[in-house]
Amino acid sequence: MSRRVAITGMGLVTCLATGVDENWKQITNGRSGIGPIQSFDPQRLVTRIAGEIAADFDPSGYIPKKELRRMDRHQQIGMVAACQAVFQAGLNEPPDDPRRCAVIVGSGIGGLTTIHDGFEILREKGPKRMPPMIIPMAVGNLLPGMIAMRFGLKGPNFGVVNACSSGASAIGEAYRIVSMGFADVAVSGGTEAVIGEFAISSFNALRALSTRNEAPEKASRPFDKDRDGFVLAEGAGMVVLESFERAQERGAPILGEIVGYGATCDAYHIVMPDPEGVGAHEAMKLALDDCGLKPEQVQYINAHGTSTDLNDKTETIAIKRLFGKHAHNLSISSTKSMTGHALGAAGAIEAIFTALTLMHGIAPPTINLDCPDPQCDLDYTPNKSVKRDMEYAISNSFAFGGQNVSLLFRRSQ
Amino acid sequence: MDDIEKKVVDLVAEVLVDVNKENIRLDAKIVEDLGAESLDIYDMIALLEDEFGTEISDEEVEKIRTVQDVADFIKAGQKK
Repeated sequence: MSRRVAITGMGLVTCLATGVDENWKQITNGRSGIGPIQSFDPQRLVTRIAGEIAADFDPSGYIPKKELRRMDRHQQIGMVAACQAVFQAGLNEPPDDPRRCAVIVGSGIGGLTTIHDGFEILREKGPKRMPPMIIPMAVGNLLPGMIAMRFGLKGPNFGVVNACSSGASAIGEAYRIVSMGFADVAVSGGTEAVIGEFAISSFNALRALSTRNEAPEKASRPFDKDRDGFVLAEGAGMVVLESFERAQERGAPILGEIVGYGATCDAYHIVMPDPEGVGAHEAMKLALDDCGLKPEQVQYINAHGTSTDLNDKTETIAIKRLFGKHAHNLSISSTKSMTGHALGAAGAIEAIFTALTLMHGIAPPTINLDCPDPQCDLDYTPNKSVKRDMEYAISNSFAFGGQNVSLLFRRSQ
Repeated sequence: MDDIEKKVVDLVAEVLVDVNKENIRLDAKIVEDLGAESLDIYDMIALLEDEFGTEISDEEVEKIRTVQDVADFIKAGQKK
């Protein structure tokens, strides 16, 4: 059995803005959310720029004060995005069928800054001074548990840990669970908030981050020949997926459909992609096969496009391998050029941008694409959004570990 | 209220943010009157221990009923 799956709610918190509409405005205007690090003194770090959520972000309108101080930042922003999505879907009241309502949320690392702070307390004050909330704030499956408590959702519930593919994997699994009939509704997405000395110095040790400290807004430049690594960001994206039938019956807004999901692993290297892009190509192919779509029917790809040397090159190879000549007719963009890379949230944030691309008929730009890498020779929608009538689109996410995830979207009919 | 009692009330209020601070009197029962659950109490104890540099054993925590009990344990701990 396979059922149609509708998107009936969406929520976003990124370094650009809070809320889906405001994010879309920023993205289509080509605005960068990257800046010098404000939340702590980054002087000791090689990379001193990031995509931080605005300092005036206030979750207290969505989360009671008592709960707020017991939630790690990744949980706070994830809950805010989940509330936006659930409210839009009109599921504020506990459902009549709670066991049919799933929550599946990805996070690459979970509460890393909480773990870091806990370790400082352990070292400075000793084991008897450990606060009781370290574990619930650190662990990645607590947010799906919190979302379930908040909205009375009692079906399948778990966290997904899949590095930079976490958010996409969560949505893919949620799509499958609803499509196969194991649940009728799923709140799903990804969240990440690890900006701090721990994460940045660790990614610097891997030489993965851009060091363009003097020009933060120019630092994330996917497919450009002068790209020098990704820019770490924080953010959360959440969707409500629902069986098309249920959504239609209750008159819910149908914002788009997910029609395919492909997942593969390179089985090649812990942090480098397969240089031939085989796994990435196969993930996209599986997503198309899921609904019997031909490559020529796809008009848009929201690329993983991290702005690292290897990703952008091999993603281009993978796209060409699958789409052949049609690769040059695709509109492609990397919205990470504006949002930075929010790790486990990225796939969910970009899933929402992909749905919005189809809904509005506007492909958002890849900014900072001033001088394309000769090895990246497709149409990445350089620097300015493009209007185009589109029905099908893919969102790609690839992880350290070799995990490739592609989601296939269809415009709402 | 002495300084320790005032500080205890402040810290209880910090954990139980949804309780009106006027209701956090010394004779208020922490569970029955203020609606605390076990996690709230451990959260409170961690803040109090940190603030006063004293230690409240799990046996002592079991005996806590009112805000006054908390202040008394802190004072006793400081005399040790």
